[in-house]
Amino acid sequence: MKYFLLTLAALTFVYPFIWMLSASLSAESGLGDLALLPEQFTWNNYVTVFTKIPLGRAFLNSAFVAIVTTGLVLVTGAMVGYALARYEFVGRDWIFYAIIFTMTLPFQITLIPNYITMVRLGWIDTYLALIVPFSLSSLAVLLFRQAFQSLPQALIDAARIDGAGELRIIFQILVPNVLPTVLTIMILTFMGLWNEALWPLIVIRDESTMTMPQLVTLFSVGGRAEGQLGVKIAAAVLLAVPVVVLYLFFQKHFIRSMASSGLKD
Amino acid sequence: MANVTLTHIAKAYGNGPTLIRDVTIDVRDQEFVVLVGPSGCGKSTLLRMIAGLEDITSGDLLLDGKRINDLPPKDRDIAMVFQNYALYPHMTVFENMAFGLKLRNMAKADIRARVTQAARILEIDNLLDRKPKDMSGGQRQRVAIGRAIVREPKVFLFDEPLSNLDAKLRGQTRIELQKLHRQLRATMIYVTHDQVEAMTLGDRIVVLRGGDVMQSDTPLTLYNRPANRFVAGFIGTPPMNFLPGHVRQIDGSLCFMPSGFEMHMPITDVVQQTALTPYIGKAVTLGIRAEYLTTAPVNEQAVPLPVRIEAMENMGNEALAYVTTEESRFIARVSPTDALALAIGQSAMLFLDTVHAHFFDDATELVIR
Repeated sequence: MKYFLLTLAALTFVYPFIWMLSASLSAESGLGDLALLPEQFTWNNYVTVFTKIPLGRAFLNSAFVAIVTTGLVLVTGAMVGYALARYEFVGRDWIFYAIIFTMTLPFQITLIPNYITMVRLGWIDTYLALIVPFSLSSLAVLLFRQAFQSLPQALIDAARIDGAGELRIIFQILVPNVLPTVLTIMILTFMGLWNEALWPLIVIRDESTMTMPQLVTLFSVGGRAEGQLGVKIAAAVLLAVPVVVLYLFFQKHFIRSMASSGLKD
Repeated sequence: MANVTLTHIAKAYGNGPTLIRDVTIDVRDQEFVVLVGPSGCGKSTLLRMIAGLEDITSGDLLLDGKRINDLPPKDRDIAMVFQNYALYPHMTVFENMAFGLKLRNMAKADIRARVTQAARILEIDNLLDRKPKDMSGGQRQRVAIGRAIVREPKVFLFDEPLSNLDAKLRGQTRIELQKLHRQLRATMIYVTHDQVEAMTLGDRIVVLRGGDVMQSDTPLTLYNRPANRFVAGFIGTPPMNFLPGHVRQIDGSLCFMPSGFEMHMPITDVVQQTALTPYIGKAVTLGIRAEYLTTAPVNEQAVPLPVRIEAMENMGNEALAYVTTEESRFIARVSPTDALALAIGQSAMLFLDTVHAHFFDDATELVIR
């Protein structure tokens, strides 16, 4: 009975995704009946997507932006988190609360000011507009701060006596010992960036700089799919694949790093 | 050569209370100095200030005559071993030991040579590829010591390095640290709250309390000639017995009158007489080590003391008798055969050897000598 309920729950999550996959491989006429296997199997939908829009270029754009930004988030998050966790300075707690407070602001509120900033900086239609506003994440700061606080101070002392500077302490001594946190931040940041469609729609108009979700959205609602549902679904599948692959890959590492980081104080 | 000199060192956090008031210690080259005291006495803070991990509020810290107050830890040529080992968990033993050398841009071959040599000294050469989590506490401690040795520093600092080990291993490691000190001929400063460690390891012991140096001397001097009541009670296992009372002159001879007893102890020793004469009528405390409370009088000066046996710990080679009087409790070290004659709960007579008694001024707690 227990397993029956679990299976049922799992199926309700998995079913739409499987249907999406099967629909993308079906001919347009077979889409209506929500079948789990493709009807009149065809690759046509994918062929159409690739001929109509520069999806390859958009994929590279998305990958570039997501990877660079995730890297920056890890670097800045670790540095700010370390300062907040281990340094004593006036106003430290207020800075921390301010950073936490920004987490409560919905992205939409800062959308217009951010856009104006981008225009003034002349960053519209450049990668900078996609990368810089996301390169410091309050969530990363928070998670790194908590993780660094849980490490023994003696670890830092020992590194200092060994001759390590502050940056080396952060990246060579502390970060390798909070890998679960690093992975969590990496996955969350990467997925968030990968799926972001609204911001690119506002700051990017040049098709060669567009990210994948932006391009797929424009393709689906902009009329170029010519009302064909199968083609839209195929584009959506292509959008989801990298994140799913990434998740499957890191899930294994995620669990392993959780299990092996047995730090003893 | 490595002399470490602390002159009038003080430490306070922000505007908070002063943690260390005025500490002056001179550690000579190749000396093994132990800082000992109860928790909160400032010994670890003192060590961290020498290491450069804490700022010095006032006073001078000199290494070979050079003031190093403001030198960062890495430039002090000092290595430190921590209580919880503080090994880098993600590095192998080799990498842990090599880390400090790498940062000093030493050639790879030299690093390998130094690490292998240190590993051989500490008998951990078969563990070089292991990670800290795959080793026992004792092995980790060796690696932590190894990490200090490879640096070949002028001064070694130890912050309670044995307190996470079990009793047997602690004993073994004590011996090995002694050997290591002789082998390396290095200056070592060692912090512990365990007075047995202090007695067995130190060439010299600095006893601290509440941020003040109570006494600084060789282990035997601390044991035999404590400067004050605190040192007398802190150094030695079991601790010294104390008997409050006052000094009085009876029929022209000097006597100690213990409170709660209907008796007086004549002071016959000339040196004691001279020292105690100014204290006539004043409150003093008598201190006596467990070995000078005996079941039979050892000399004519021994004074009988009626007690009740409360508990007995017979270790086979010796026995500790826990006894009570009206007002105090004492511990006497007796032979295991004598111990058999003492029944728990019964009254007995112990003899106090006044020649070996110490007297402390109740007002200042200083020894009267």
